[in-house]
Amino acid sequence: MDLVIGIGNTLRGDDGLASVLVNQRTWDDDCRSLVVQQLTPELSDLLKDVDRVLFADASIDSREVRLERIASAEARGIGHAISPASLLAWTQRLFERVPEAWLLAIPGQSFEIGAPIGPVARGFLSEAGRRLDAWRSRSPLPRVVVGE
Amino acid sequence: MEKQIHIEPVTRIEGHAKISIFLDDAGDVRDAQFHVTELRGFEKFCEGRTLWEMPGLTARICGICPVSHILASAKACDALMAVRIPETAQRLRRLMNLGQFIQSHALSFFYLSAPDFLLGWDTDPATRNVIGLIVDNPVLAKKGIRLRSFGQQVIDRLGGKRIHPAWAVPGGVNQALDESDRQWIRNQLPEVKAIAVETLGLFKQAFASGEARDVIGSYPSMYMGLVASDGSWEHYEGGLRIVDAAGETVVDHFDPSRYDEMIGEASEPWTYLKFPYYRPVGYPDGMYRVGPLGRVNVCSRFGTPLADAELEEFRGLSDGRSGRVFDYHYARLLEILASVERMERLVADDAIVSTDIRAEAGVNAREGVGIHEAPRGTLIHHYWIDRNGLIEKANFIVSTGHNNLAMNRAVKEIAKSYIRKGQVSEGILNRVEGGIRAYDPCLSCSVHAVGHMPLRIDVVAADGWVQNTLVQE
Repeated sequence: MDLVIGIGNTLRGDDGLASVLVNQRTWDDDCRSLVVQQLTPELSDLLKDVDRVLFADASIDSREVRLERIASAEARGIGHAISPASLLAWTQRLFERVPEAWLLAIPGQSFEIGAPIGPVARGFLSEAGRRLDAWRSRSPLPRVVVGE
Repeated sequence: MEKQIHIEPVTRIEGHAKISIFLDDAGDVRDAQFHVTELRGFEKFCEGRTLWEMPGLTARICGICPVSHILASAKACDALMAVRIPETAQRLRRLMNLGQFIQSHALSFFYLSAPDFLLGWDTDPATRNVIGLIVDNPVLAKKGIRLRSFGQQVIDRLGGKRIHPAWAVPGGVNQALDESDRQWIRNQLPEVKAIAVETLGLFKQAFASGEARDVIGSYPSMYMGLVASDGSWEHYEGGLRIVDAAGETVVDHFDPSRYDEMIGEASEPWTYLKFPYYRPVGYPDGMYRVGPLGRVNVCSRFGTPLADAELEEFRGLSDGRSGRVFDYHYARLLEILASVERMERLVADDAIVSTDIRAEAGVNAREGVGIHEAPRGTLIHHYWIDRNGLIEKANFIVSTGHNNLAMNRAVKEIAKSYIRKGQVSEGILNRVEGGIRAYDPCLSCSVHAVGHMPLRIDVVAADGWVQNTLVQE
């Protein structure tokens, strides 16, 4: 079983990229999808039951769509945000297992409150979708096409 | 010369606050105040919006309690439309509210407060948190995570997402419960109930003595909450009941839409949070408490077998009604169990998957009140609209606000108990904070009055002396 978690706030410009990506797709029975504004500790209750998880998130640091393996970090206290790596650490600590984890980073430029997703960022969605499909089908990852 | 101790920020609560403790010349506590230092102002900027927008708009008051606001708002809008919503819609709203009770109480108990009393009030604050709890007691931590996850997944399956589901609407709800989701909930309930029972058992074992539960203060007050027509625990409809410290009924089955005849609202210049009070007694003596302990103290019974047995045991621990602040945690666990049992009944009935879920109507009243029990206590949305359905005025009395007088009393009681001759330790200050955490205040939810809020601004020079004070009464 796969799990795809789209992270982001649809009221904050390009931060809603992952929400759009996840909600516009149809999913088969072997994959569960979820959209959250931020990661929270109780998501570990879902992670413990899946083989693979993909976190999709807008990234201000990326200039291209990136799909990469991620590993657990050190489990830290609760703040207002938990990173995917920290959530994996929570899961490992609590349930002594952790799924194979991936991060799909989608470039975003503007995260202003009340703003829609910008045209440049929206242009990355098709590439993000291809990468997501490749991940689902476990096929070799497609070539990265910057800014398509 | 008077000295002050400040705790800022108050940690492991929702929102921003500080505590001031005022010492006399001997270093003993003269007074203490719980200051809420943020302002949301939703009462004002809802003005001019349509009633149809209000559930979605007010859901944005909070990321922890959107379900609570969306339900209170939808109920207020039902009143503006003068409709009785379909039975299934009411049951579905109840189901979501019970999911909210479970996830919110689990968050408060396991994530925010349990580190204090399970790891120790005086342990290193660096490890006195949920991570420390996971390290110390991973089995218990898993139970908390499981309960919260279940409650959130119920909300998700009903509303399409965990936070800000645009699901409860004026006249009902906009999506029926799918049969597969109903089965999912039914399948989860046995495990969830077992966790609720087991956690309650562990809690009672650890905190059986009154002394252990006196750690963050005990004082008499009135209690308020909704009850059903037979006096049993109610979270969605019913009438308001107030009982005194002895458990004697002060007010019963009071029409919630007339709340303002019974509840007044005062304000102070040192906090943004209003002070609701019981009008017949006046301010500030008309203190009452709401939330888990309020509901448990006002209801005649839960109306479900396991929770009723637990309630009887709980009542046997106190003369009259428990005034212990710590018993908010006990009551929270009782309510998790009651919520699970109520859920069992709701999903067992085929009516829960009916698609008759929404009543249609236009504007039929110019004033509407929506009240229900949020996890933290009685939540009131009151709207006045014009003939086109635009909001002219809004008043919110949020659960945390009802408890404002009681929270201030708690910090004063706890500080007085532990601080002598100016001697104070981090562990003592943590007990003061713990008194606030027990009420599980959600400050983001509760600070909306603007325009008539008394305000005091101190202009403080670099050397710390107050140069000027500006006061708005």
